[in-house]
Amino acid sequence: MLGQHVNKQLSPYAHGELPAPEAERVSAHLEGCERCRTEFAEITYGIRLAESLALRSAPSNLWDGIEAALSHETLPQDQTAHHITQERKTRDGWRFGWRISWLSGWRPALAASVVLLFVLGAGGGWFYLRSTRTTWEVARLAGAPLIGAGRINSTGRLGIGEWLETDANSRAQIKVADIGQVEIDPGTRIRLVETRLTEHRLELARGRMHATIFAPPRLFFVDTPSAVAADLGCAYTLEVDDQGRSLLHVTSGWVAFETKDRESMVPAGAACSTQPGAGPGTPYFEDASELFLDALSKFDFSGGGADAVQIVLAEARARDTLTLWHLLARVEGDERSRVYERLAALARPPASVTREGIMLLDPAMLYEWKAQMEPTWLTESMPEVRRTWRKLWSDRDAPGLIKSAKDYLR
Amino acid sequence: MIDERPMDTRVVESCQQGDRESFRLLFETHKDKVYSIALYFFGGDAALAGDITQQVFLKLFTRIGQFRHQSEFTTWLYRLTTNTCIDEQRKRRRFRPFPESLPYAKVNTLPAAEARFMRLEIADTVRDAIAGLKPKLRIAILLKYFEELSYEEIAQVLNCSKGTVASRLNRGHRILAQRLGHLRADVLSGD
Repeated sequence: MLGQHVNKQLSPYAHGELPAPEAERVSAHLEGCERCRTEFAEITYGIRLAESLALRSAPSNLWDGIEAALSHETLPQDQTAHHITQERKTRDGWRFGWRISWLSGWRPALAASVVLLFVLGAGGGWFYLRSTRTTWEVARLAGAPLIGAGRINSTGRLGIGEWLETDANSRAQIKVADIGQVEIDPGTRIRLVETRLTEHRLELARGRMHATIFAPPRLFFVDTPSAVAADLGCAYTLEVDDQGRSLLHVTSGWVAFETKDRESMVPAGAACSTQPGAGPGTPYFEDASELFLDALSKFDFSGGGADAVQIVLAEARARDTLTLWHLLARVEGDERSRVYERLAALARPPASVTREGIMLLDPAMLYEWKAQMEPTWLTESMPEVRRTWRKLWSDRDAPGLIKSAKDYLR
Repeated sequence: MIDERPMDTRVVESCQQGDRESFRLLFETHKDKVYSIALYFFGGDAALAGDITQQVFLKLFTRIGQFRHQSEFTTWLYRLTTNTCIDEQRKRRRFRPFPESLPYAKVNTLPAAEARFMRLEIADTVRDAIAGLKPKLRIAILLKYFEELSYEEIAQVLNCSKGTVASRLNRGHRILAQRLGHLRADVLSGD
């Protein structure tokens, strides 16, 4: 008598996992049941296939990354989120802790900061381990993007030093560690330069990318041939042409576009160009007049000088104080005086800000005036958490932290 | 006096004391198996497999103080590996609706002349087919064939019954056989 079919026991039978009486029953059944014999042939063929898998050797450099991460830890330990958060605070230079102490009079900010710290603390452990990864996930959106010489089918991994390239018909999306994503347009060449806890960095050699980042400021950077875009918690588009010229357009939050000795702070709705050898130009709002934009471009990149500045000042609206404020440190003498006059006419300076101080580029006064004008520049509504986040970060710009205005604003 | 405890036990205890050399020894002993599981789990993605391997050992080293020797160390390690692979799989799905299944239809419709795979090509094709299995079936296959674990050990790693392991392996074997039926002659001719 054949009894019940044994199809569920076929793999354990083939692997010798059945007790002897059960194995004998399966064996007897197989002799008389063609259906189960056919299925057993399938199972054994599947086993043969699986057995063809060979053990692969792990790359020799894996230990280096582990050792580097371990060097930050005191082992063994129970790695609670608290431990990690404390570790990150000291290692990464996140200074939220002491900032709170001097914001104590500002209750809403304090409450939001506590919430922020809680979120950071709870997510710290997760973020720590995720951030130790050395490659980023890339998804093909269209066409056939390449990582190195290899085509991406649906997904790929972009390692440090590797180039991602799209042709005229390709698009791709990069997951930036766990802090956001970057979409790559056709005709783009981009490289992963660095990814670690305190810095994630891409190099855009040519083409266009759209970044959406939600992370503490200055965690994500994009190198271009003529400047570095430093994320301050934002969304933006960045493009580089074949001559190495860049154009940054910010759609949300703020981006600092900078070189070693010059920085342009670009808010949502504004743009900023760069050229090799000249660094970041003066940021501007794209809805400014054509005369204004043309003159500013000449001032930044074509030696437009006093004539160009004159046109910029004449055409400036209240919102263009963004441009004028940056111009203060980029002109000298009488020109600076004229910029001050126009700026003061468009946005009356706070009582504590004096003409003399601005002419000397006093950091505290520049900062205070800028803070007063910022609401005029911002077109987007800013959620409370983001506002608090930015407020915490903007303390970086506080007078005591600026060595000189020229360092900050040239 | 000779210490007769298994090597892993001694090494793990040294790791729990913070001995960095023991960490390295533990890594060198198990890295290839962890890497191979991740590599085959993700269809041959070497960079991702490297990432997963690093994550597994980082988690292992930072949590090793929690290991109480109540189970085999390897069971703990492979559970960590399994969970890391499956977590990553979930995250990848959240990031983008990537097509998970492989273009089997394309493979099956290759002209006969092109379907004469060499032995290594067969292994690559099997790797791709395994990557197309559901994660639960995939990981059972990988634990069986890379770690040569018994059904009982696989059940401990996956926290399920032996019957469930048998069922998953059965389904995995059957699906592989069906999807790679066109390779049967090449595979069996290698006997």
